[in-house]
Amino acid sequence: MTEYVNIYINGRKYEAKNGEMLLSVARRNGIYVPSLCYEEALGAYGSCRMCIVEVIAGEQKGITTSCSLACTKDLKVETDTQEIIKHRKILIELYLAQAPNSEKIRELANKYGVKNTRFKRKIEKKDPLDNKCILCGLCVRTCNELIGRGVINFINRGYKTKVNTPYFESSEICMGCKACLEVCPTDAITITDKGDTRILSSWSNTTVKMEKCIGCGKFSVPEPIRKKMDSKFFYEDEVLKNLCPDCRKKLITKKVTLISEKKVEQYVK
Amino acid sequence: MKITSLEDLENIARKGLKKLNPDNKVRISVGFATCGISVGGDDVFKTFKEKIYERKLNNLELCKTGCIGFCGEEPLVNIKMPGKSIVVLHRVTPNDVDDILQKIENETYEFHKAFFKIDDWDHVTSKIHYGDGYENIPKWNEIKFFKPTKRVVLRNSGIINPEDIDEYIAVGGYRSLYKVIKSMTPDEIIEEVKKSGLRGRGGAGFPTGLKWEFAKKEQSDVKYVICNADEGDPGAYMNRNEMESDPHMIIEGMIIGAYATGATEGIIYIRAEYPLAVERFKKAINDAKKYGLLGEKILGSNFNFDIIVTEGAGAFVCGEETALIASVEGEIGRPRLKPPYPAQKGLWGKPTNINNVETWSNVPVIIAKGGDWFSKLGTQKSPGTKVFSLVGKVKNVGLVEVELGTTIDRIVNYIGNDGVNNGKIKAVQTGGPSGGCIPENLFNTPIDYEHLAAVGSIMGSGGIVVMDDDTCMVDTAKYFLDFSIDESCGKCVSCREGLKHMHDILDDITKGKATFEDIDTLKELAQTVKVTSLCGLGKTASNPVLTTLKYFYKEYEEHVKHKRCFARVCKDLIRYVIAKDECTGCTICAKRCPVNAINGEKGKPHIISQNVCVKCGICYDVCKFNSVKKLSEAIGGEK
Repeated sequence: MTEYVNIYINGRKYEAKNGEMLLSVARRNGIYVPSLCYEEALGAYGSCRMCIVEVIAGEQKGITTSCSLACTKDLKVETDTQEIIKHRKILIELYLAQAPNSEKIRELANKYGVKNTRFKRKIEKKDPLDNKCILCGLCVRTCNELIGRGVINFINRGYKTKVNTPYFESSEICMGCKACLEVCPTDAITITDKGDTRILSSWSNTTVKMEKCIGCGKFSVPEPIRKKMDSKFFYEDEVLKNLCPDCRKKLITKKVTLISEKKVEQYVK
Repeated sequence: MKITSLEDLENIARKGLKKLNPDNKVRISVGFATCGISVGGDDVFKTFKEKIYERKLNNLELCKTGCIGFCGEEPLVNIKMPGKSIVVLHRVTPNDVDDILQKIENETYEFHKAFFKIDDWDHVTSKIHYGDGYENIPKWNEIKFFKPTKRVVLRNSGIINPEDIDEYIAVGGYRSLYKVIKSMTPDEIIEEVKKSGLRGRGGAGFPTGLKWEFAKKEQSDVKYVICNADEGDPGAYMNRNEMESDPHMIIEGMIIGAYATGATEGIIYIRAEYPLAVERFKKAINDAKKYGLLGEKILGSNFNFDIIVTEGAGAFVCGEETALIASVEGEIGRPRLKPPYPAQKGLWGKPTNINNVETWSNVPVIIAKGGDWFSKLGTQKSPGTKVFSLVGKVKNVGLVEVELGTTIDRIVNYIGNDGVNNGKIKAVQTGGPSGGCIPENLFNTPIDYEHLAAVGSIMGSGGIVVMDDDTCMVDTAKYFLDFSIDESCGKCVSCREGLKHMHDILDDITKGKATFEDIDTLKELAQTVKVTSLCGLGKTASNPVLTTLKYFYKEYEEHVKHKRCFARVCKDLIRYVIAKDECTGCTICAKRCPVNAINGEKGKPHIISQNVCVKCGICYDVCKFNSVKKLSEAIGGEK
């Protein structure tokens, strides 16, 4: 059975599951704690350092990241002390220097009143991530841990770290699922669909073939995903397999009235 | 042969003692740790081997030993004549070998490179009287370098043959293991370690007994113990020497730790740059297995435990315990978030206890002599001894083991015997890239975990780098930062980006391009990096910057305000000139200058063209008349 404990954030009492991470509790209760690398499905990673809070009473006293701070009874934290704001501002300056093109980082900077960075901007010509990547690791972890593909990973280390495919060669195992793009907090990843091809220009111009929807004729699903789905899902109606999400929706609605397969095909055409 | 009883152990000990202290043979042992080898110990050994063969000396045993610690005097050779003290010869070259052998044959004992003698030696786990004689040679503990030391970890280093398990058993080795397996429960062992007050020697100083208790508490079918031998601080090499000189003490410590925590597998994580230590460990593990001290049914009991050696690829960050675990698992060596701590979820998700080489080395002693005995060494909060590698601008360099609480002054000025070239010592840097620089006026600080932290440094793994007036503190901070940047894994933003920008600012300062605002930025950034970094590397990497800013602000000021470097190190702020009236016109400097920046007629004063000069310093080094001067003058007329 889940055990609940009382904790205190900025002096107010909240209820949390014992052992739950503080950042989740804060998010659930609408308390703003900035974070760039936390994703509940993946668990804490601790690379962005933005979610630091100050523990006033509890086991790990002092400043620590709230994504890795487990709630225990009577934990007391402050999320916006002067010192924390000071550190966050400097971290934002570091991000502004690292990812000068990122709109999202600039928004964050505005929120904290950081107008400029004192540090040298890192601008690379022809950066596949358009000088927007902050190396938070979300795309890498999503691809490796959730999708289970391992198309991209960290290359080099230290401040020379980059994210890309091994040896910057286009990937043969990428399914083109776009999950990396979805999780990226700075919109650094570029993926475009062109005709029957999905081009992942950020990942060494990896290309994935797309499949045509037999309904509207749009290219909607990458082939590798279709193949994977075929082996995993059971379709009541085989026609559904070859339709894009939009047409599938329409079809299912229509299906209530059009029962025979012939009529369905008629509709599709 | 498998050892199962105390009698077996005693039999082997007798066999070992005959090798270590033979009563009918001469024993020559050559210091054969990496430090000895690098200054020619291997050549000396080879020459001995050849000459002994040539001279057909049958009654003579040649063997290898580790390093006694006085690295500055290597290669060291121990001569042990039957019944006599061990004479240690220093700075031996292959040319001395004939002379030494001749004297041994003639039984005249006046070795001209005799350095000191060892009559009695406290191996801690036993005491051995090696012999008497040699009235003219000082005893080992009468030498300044050794006098204030207390050898607990280095109890056998430089005396026994590290490749011979019998000799380790002869000096009381594996008795502690026997004791715990036959008569102690895991809880009793942990209680004893707790009583000793031993703290982790890797740098953080976490109480070892407590760590073991956490690991023991966890319920799991598999548990691990790991020996962290990923020593990587620049200027620190005590772990290497401990492993090369006495691998069995570490193995014994690990087996005891495994028994206490319920571990079934042990891993020695060692950097591949230490090939000799790897080799000696592998041999030691095999030997221990043959005697039934490792493997299944250790000492005839039901306890099974095995150790494997895993080589790391030399990343500094892999000394951090969670990064080390990631590396063993084959992942990228990046630290993981704590909690969960390794004691709860470590290697392959199983409870894991990680200790440093030196921590493990202390364990057999604590069992043999008792926790109370150990806790009386050192200070109340930091009991025991610590091995430091004393390097830099002092006369005596090497490994010194002293009780914790010994002052910096005693180590640097007494053991180190003052600065080289009578230069005034300015500061010491402890703890490598994670430590800080401590100025001369704080040299009465006792070295222990708390006191060093109070002055802004850390003990770290035990490196002490001594600096004198020829060292620029800004440049030093930059150097250590350079190291930390190279070794940063790149996971968290503070360390990855922050250190790089700190380095950029420092670089500007050393080039005279920075302003006072830059210094403020540097300070602010250093504090943020210290507070917000994910792991120990980032949390401590700012220490060299913060401490030099605190204690040597004047040097920063000079660089920024007057574009001057006191120590004349920062290339962009110095220039080389030739003193007109001192130059003899010998033309050597002009000939050696790689860019032809020096002009002048033979016999007449030469001139360096400043806009051509690349400041390589060759002219300064080659001038026999000291007429090339290195200047760093204040810009703007101020002095």
